[in-house]
Amino acid sequence: MISKQDTMWKFVPHQHRGPAEHTGADDHVCSPKNHNGAFKSRGLATFMGAPYCPADRKAIREMGAKICFLGCPWDQGQIVRAGTSQGASGVREATTQYFPYMFEYDVDILTFFRVVDCGDIPNVPGNNAKSHELIDQYITECLEGGAKVIMSGGDHSLPIPGSRALSRHMSKGRIGYLHVDSHLDAGPDWAGNKITNCSGPARAIELPNCSAKNMAHLGSRNSLNPKDWWDFYVDNSIRVITMREIVERGIEACTAEIFELAWKGTDAVYFSWDTDSIDISCMPGSTSPECYGLKGREAIALARVAGRYGCDVLDIVELAPYFDVSHMSIKMAANMIYHYLGSRARTLIEQGKTP
Amino acid sequence: MNPAKSYAHLFSPLGGDAGDNYRAPNVLTFLRSTYVPLNAEALKKSGASYAFVGVPFDEGNVGKPGSEEGPREFRLASQEYFTYWFEYNVDLYGVAVDCGDVSMPKVSPDVARERIYRAVREVLKAGLIPILVGGDRSMSIAATKALSDHIGPAKRMGYMHFGAHLDLADSWAGEKNLAPCALARITELPNLEARNVAHIGARNAMNPKDWTDLAKERGIRFNPMFELLERGVYETAEGAIDRVWQGTDAQYVSFNFNVMDASAAPGVTSTEPGGLESREMMRIAEMIGKRKTLDVIDVSELCPVFDVSGTAARLAVCVVTRIMASLAKERGEEIDASIRRSDLVAG
Repeated sequence: MISKQDTMWKFVPHQHRGPAEHTGADDHVCSPKNHNGAFKSRGLATFMGAPYCPADRKAIREMGAKICFLGCPWDQGQIVRAGTSQGASGVREATTQYFPYMFEYDVDILTFFRVVDCGDIPNVPGNNAKSHELIDQYITECLEGGAKVIMSGGDHSLPIPGSRALSRHMSKGRIGYLHVDSHLDAGPDWAGNKITNCSGPARAIELPNCSAKNMAHLGSRNSLNPKDWWDFYVDNSIRVITMREIVERGIEACTAEIFELAWKGTDAVYFSWDTDSIDISCMPGSTSPECYGLKGREAIALARVAGRYGCDVLDIVELAPYFDVSHMSIKMAANMIYHYLGSRARTLIEQGKTP
Repeated sequence: MNPAKSYAHLFSPLGGDAGDNYRAPNVLTFLRSTYVPLNAEALKKSGASYAFVGVPFDEGNVGKPGSEEGPREFRLASQEYFTYWFEYNVDLYGVAVDCGDVSMPKVSPDVARERIYRAVREVLKAGLIPILVGGDRSMSIAATKALSDHIGPAKRMGYMHFGAHLDLADSWAGEKNLAPCALARITELPNLEARNVAHIGARNAMNPKDWTDLAKERGIRFNPMFELLERGVYETAEGAIDRVWQGTDAQYVSFNFNVMDASAAPGVTSTEPGGLESREMMRIAEMIGKRKTLDVIDVSELCPVFDVSGTAARLAVCVVTRIMASLAKERGEEIDASIRRSDLVAG
């Protein structure tokens, strides 16, 4: 039984309870006053130091959370090297080196969105279908609880149950689907398996309320892109912005274009962002890193433009801290989320809206 | 060209006993320079313009540890380079001496800070430019105070800060002299005015609200990464450099190479995505050298244990030596164009 009293959203700065607790309500946006706070003595390692809330629609609603962070350590839906099961832990770890206040947007994203960490989604090893079912359920709980979802993978099969959950949640309306990745991921199947990290957009187009004109792919390059993947976009007339086009036109214009497409006549958008869209030099900690990708500043610009449009579910997938160098990949992933939220908050404030 | 002087070090190794120690340094010093004890008389006698001083001090740091190893790695990376710079046709041989490291009493940060202060005063007294390699950013607090006291209250100094973080904590957990307090302490120096302070490269969420509040309160103009990208990196950097050199008698340039994108400098204590590229920093280094005057250079927060293939250390060496080379050219120290490899010159 969860009482309302227990679950009201309450941020305890740096999560330090006990004799050395911080007491100031706004301590978390400023340098620590009494001790080193979350730096090197980090309390519970939640995303952004946010309070924990179970992935339960009633609990989320009672806490008034508008962003739920979900970790998803599922990495058996993919065909490349393993390691993404540590992705969400990596993002949580990286956020201990940051404050929830972002000077670029002059906003405290933690309290603005009443962010909660809903922990990790459980999975069933060896069973992709059952694991996807659990992902679907957890995302559904968050959406039904009135929050938007940031899911940290996990492999790139996650948008299959993720977009399914959003589609059902928005069954009376239409949804858009965006896939940012170095790989086109649009195989009808991979060796007969239809729910791997090779088929996200191919499954999304089958959803009853998602049409090709509200779908787009951005960042494709190099030759882990078999012909059937490319044919999918050609045959369905889905907009593909290749890396070559991004280099020519600039990331901001390209990002704005795909979000315009996704939001045209729709009520919700699923945004799936693969870490390998980013250049291998800025994102070594990914399962299939590729050269000729987005530089760090371009990934941050993408997040900033995305924040102007918003989305209902954002997944950051294929982050593999085992292969990281000097925390650069996990900090990149954290910044993809932070800059998205910072820009989103600034946009909402300027529009006079609440999350 | 002076016939009594050897120019062998300008060229590919000639073989034999001389000039083939490219990968085999006798003693590990900055740019294979001579070791000179940290003593004003000895430094004056050396005739050098720069004194390299290692500062293996890591007790002002709030993040990832490891910057103690910075000086050693910096010296090691400098072995990979020649003193000759084709881009400027200058030779840095003999321009610098190495004074070793400031000795560090572990777990006694106040004593360490005092020693850093005294080391910088000593070099300045001898009329040389200290090149300080740390160590964490908090060393800049002691070192800027040394420059401030050296020039005295009648003169003005300028201060240039490269880094992803504003380091403007008035206090951090009650402490006043930690790395995140660096710029807060430095901007309290009596002969440093806010209009002569520049900060380049701030970005991301390790910049809590009290830091930007203090910047406003003190009138500190900083150029965050978004501004550099929107207005143009070089134009914005030129404006920042202008502020530091405008009407000042002494200038201090302080680098934390987390100003670079994480990919360009993984070996720093706190990598940050979305920063400067090496090609941009190279040109900024040249722009600094073009100002002709400079009093202190410091490099902090190198963290070799996290570096990849010496990326960050090499970058740091290239930036510092490029400033020296650019400065030498501006001062008219180009070498004689007629110098050639002796074994290739007929007669």
